[in-house]
Amino acid sequence: MIDASLRWVDDRLGVAKGGRTFLDKIFPDHWSFMLGEIALYSFVVLLGTGVFLSLYYVPSAHEIVYHGSYLPLRGQKVSEAYASSVGLSFDVKSGLLMRQAHHWAADIFLGSIAVHMARVFFTGAFRKPRELNWIVGVTMLILGIVNGFLGYSLPDDLVSGTGIRIAFSIVESIPLVGSYLGFFLFGGNYPGSGIILERFFLLHILIVPALIVGLLGAHLGLLVKQKHTQFPGKGKTEHNVVGSPMFPTFMAKTNGFLFMTVGVIFLLGGFAQINPIWQFGQYEPYQISYAVQPDWYMGWLDGALRIMPSWEWVGWGHTIPLEVFLPAVIFPGIIFNIFIVWPFLEAKRTKDRAYHNLLDRPRDRPKRTGAGAMMLMLLFMVFCASSTDVLANFFHIKLNYVLWFFRIAVIVIPIITYFITYQICQEMRHAEGVGKRKRPNVVFRSDDGEYSTVATEPRPGDGHEELDAIPVPTYIDLTPPELATGAGVRRVMR
Amino acid sequence: MRRTLRGRLAAPAALVGAVAIVGVVAFWPSGAMATASTTNYATPTTTTTLPPLMAQHTTPTTIGTTARPSPAARAKAAVTAQGITYAVPPDSFIAPGQALFSANCASCHGPEASGTSRAPNLQGLGAGTVDFWVSTGRMPLANPTAQAIRKPPKFDRLQTLEISTFVQSLTPDQGVGIPLVNLSNADLENGNSLFTLNCAACHTITGAGDALAGGAYAPSLHLATTTQIVEAIRSGPGNMPQFSQGNITDPEARDIAAYVHGVIQHPANRGGFGLGGIGPVGEGFVGLLLGVGLLMLVCFWIGERT
Amino acid sequence: MSAEPTKAPSVTPVALSEPHLQPLAKHPERVQILAGLAMFVGTLGFLGFGIVYWVSDQTQWEAATFGFGMLLLGAGVIAWGKYLMAQGPFVEERHDFHSTEAERAAMTVAITERGGLEIQRRKVLGGLFVLGSTVMGIVLLFPLIRSLGPKPGNVLFETNWRKGSQLVALDGRVITVDDLDVGGVLTVFPQGFVGSSPDQTILIRLAQLPAGAAFPLQSPGRPEWTTAGYVAYSKMCTHLGCPVGLYQEQTQQLVCPCHQSIFNVKAGAVPEFGPAPRPLPQLPIYADANGNLRASDGYNQAVGPGFWERP
Repeated sequence: MIDASLRWVDDRLGVAKGGRTFLDKIFPDHWSFMLGEIALYSFVVLLGTGVFLSLYYVPSAHEIVYHGSYLPLRGQKVSEAYASSVGLSFDVKSGLLMRQAHHWAADIFLGSIAVHMARVFFTGAFRKPRELNWIVGVTMLILGIVNGFLGYSLPDDLVSGTGIRIAFSIVESIPLVGSYLGFFLFGGNYPGSGIILERFFLLHILIVPALIVGLLGAHLGLLVKQKHTQFPGKGKTEHNVVGSPMFPTFMAKTNGFLFMTVGVIFLLGGFAQINPIWQFGQYEPYQISYAVQPDWYMGWLDGALRIMPSWEWVGWGHTIPLEVFLPAVIFPGIIFNIFIVWPFLEAKRTKDRAYHNLLDRPRDRPKRTGAGAMMLMLLFMVFCASSTDVLANFFHIKLNYVLWFFRIAVIVIPIITYFITYQICQEMRHAEGVGKRKRPNVVFRSDDGEYSTVATEPRPGDGHEELDAIPVPTYIDLTPPELATGAGVRRVMR
Repeated sequence: MRRTLRGRLAAPAALVGAVAIVGVVAFWPSGAMATASTTNYATPTTTTTLPPLMAQHTTPTTIGTTARPSPAARAKAAVTAQGITYAVPPDSFIAPGQALFSANCASCHGPEASGTSRAPNLQGLGAGTVDFWVSTGRMPLANPTAQAIRKPPKFDRLQTLEISTFVQSLTPDQGVGIPLVNLSNADLENGNSLFTLNCAACHTITGAGDALAGGAYAPSLHLATTTQIVEAIRSGPGNMPQFSQGNITDPEARDIAAYVHGVIQHPANRGGFGLGGIGPVGEGFVGLLLGVGLLMLVCFWIGERT
Repeated sequence: MSAEPTKAPSVTPVALSEPHLQPLAKHPERVQILAGLAMFVGTLGFLGFGIVYWVSDQTQWEAATFGFGMLLLGAGVIAWGKYLMAQGPFVEERHDFHSTEAERAAMTVAITERGGLEIQRRKVLGGLFVLGSTVMGIVLLFPLIRSLGPKPGNVLFETNWRKGSQLVALDGRVITVDDLDVGGVLTVFPQGFVGSSPDQTILIRLAQLPAGAAFPLQSPGRPEWTTAGYVAYSKMCTHLGCPVGLYQEQTQQLVCPCHQSIFNVKAGAVPEFGPAPRPLPQLPIYADANGNLRASDGYNQAVGPGFWERP
């Protein structure tokens, strides 16, 4: 039956040859190559739950009176966007589960991109010929961050609405065109005609996801064409790939991983409350809550805004609010540009234009690893700076001290991190068998007090030698041995 | 080289441990953290809270006392269409109050509560103000150099009222009386609006509290009784502004107290564990360490480690 | 059939006993039982989700049934793939996917010669095409960007506060001199414009003074813009526009909850700490004959964050 169906399809599409190559594709087995799949599958959850949510959400700032089941809001004038979001949480069957799973999936999506990106960076997988794929990935990161911000701003609640106000002010701060851009985007002075919610909605469910899906196709397509990288090891060269075949092994593992990712996200979605908008209330531009931070992947921008000194440039009849423009526009611009050009910077610096299909151990490239650790620490410091008030409250330290700590830490700690990381890498490179378990030596003491050591037997499994890799077999001889018609003669059953 | 089972489990075990610690910390129910609630919002709260003016046994930190109101108190309740009336305990409380005051408070506040270099003048503040500070345990002060913190009160309800009555007696017509709060006609929605406009900027929208400038902080609202809430609104303790009748009327103060009591302290955590009620900071921790962490553990399982 | 396969004759079948085709697990039957059990319980979980959805729609139960169903089914499939399928490892060769020098040369020539010939011959047409396309691209940007919204004009410099504007609270009630005690704070708007974002103003009573008496604010605060101990500032933070709703009565500071800028209320709301660059604009107020608080003028500068056109 498989044969007949295949013939039918192949007669029309000619897929058999390419299809078999595809099924035989080898995926290396290292665990760190699966981090991108976390991102991929949480994106799948985002799409699925997102479709569900978009069937109920109303992207309108038009005011109505709330009549849903959450009593403390009943009778209050709220926007349709807010009312429909609270409605999803209280009055739509499984609505709250879907909403929270969607939000957790977004947090996990961006978190897994960060670890995936770190893996690619520290192993040098972005080198020729994969610079393009790196750029595609960084672009997806940026689009993901933007879409996350757009998404959590849709319910028009007090906390996310504050974020929209800040976004308007950031756009406003751009020299020459800022106020024009702000008015264009919002349809007038803040808060505008309310059209911003509709624009956010369109961007969030159509335009940005379409871009991400397209880039995702390119990302995976490049991966298929250029084949995955692999760590050096037994039998692994620059000219092969060693691992599991796509069908059935890798498909089983990745399918199972898809299910487990969905499972983790939905467990969080039902047991860990996230963004309880009914507790926040409708956004009003003259109201505010304390302890308002953006979602984690925007936290680094919020932290940068908090620690920036109040340097506003005023002159010749104009103002450039540097305390906004620098941390919120220039700083992320610089960071993302560093990300994008890094493969080319490194190639130029190391004068390395060869193909690289084998990965580096991070310790073997101490400067790159140190630079990456420095960047991660910088972003982490700025990210922590976004919770200055929460930290001050939790540790009972004066707010001013916490802020000054971060102003200094943001510069000093990354530099220290570079040197420490560099040093650790160098030491690890020169230590034999570091990170691997060594055979213990048993120490004996004789009655005279003499010490002697005896090496122990290798533990079972320690000396296990991996098999040499073989090509994926095209045909497997399914003849049971007892049916062989003669020595060395086997029958092939088709 | 394939390692043995123990060797392979070392790193994932460490990660499991870290994830477990984060999970426990995030999900551990505590006084300040909101837990999954089964509160049914189908009917508005109808509880009547009357601070027991005559009873001795109830500690001030409980919400809705078990005291049986006296006929006088019940009569007062019937009158509270406004939601709040202010009362001062009878004069018989003054003498024992003065004794308690001399023994515990006069060393800083002076024998006539007129203040010294160590502590401010209490005259004119009223019984309600004193009741707030003493019943929340903020007074007697634990650390004179830092902001007073809520702690288990040193005095029981009767003693607290006696001290308050004594201070009130020094300036009989001034200051805030002890509020009797009747929540039966409270408008939760109005309380919601008023709380958001007036209170959320310092105490946060979930009442979790946060740090202020100069080492001060706005405390969490999760342990305040309705009496203490109204006392705080009217007396403006510490850095809290003072909301007088022209700013927040008595029915409005009652609505705010009802909202804090009914919603802030019993939040509808339909979505699961509240994770501290501080928003994306807690959520980020859980999402990254628990969410991405767990999935990375699965990656450890599926993949090779050579 | 014992015929050789009709495909490439070099492909010989691999024996079933080949070590690479063996499962990874030492006891595959045991793993199969475990994996099967996981998948079975997972399926029960999904059924449970179906039931919970119809019966109670309780979020935690839905998550538990569906989530654990997914986890277990997934774990079973993973166990199948990892422990029971051919353990490998398998290898495939990488082939240079870049073209040969000859192919590259041919491609370059295809572009430069065929195309180049045409461009050389019809330079004017080529130039006109580029010009037309460029102009098209530029003007297409106009509807994309300009149609989105109005030009700012003077709007950022204007609020609805005028000379004589009555201060009202959010519920519309008129604010009188007796409404706040010392240490009180209130959000106010001009009458008729309640809830309007640029008009949001914070009113603070610093002292009990008679109407008409000025509170001695330090520069850049204007004492003559206060009355009866009341002072009014724009509530829109000059950093990023958040409402500065946090008033510390003892230290007489306004703190913006967003990024913790601290403003000194007794000194014209000048920022003492944090990222805010300018003091909060002060609204001049007075008490009229009935004791109502009114504005004696609008704000003397643009409220809120900075922008290019702000002098």
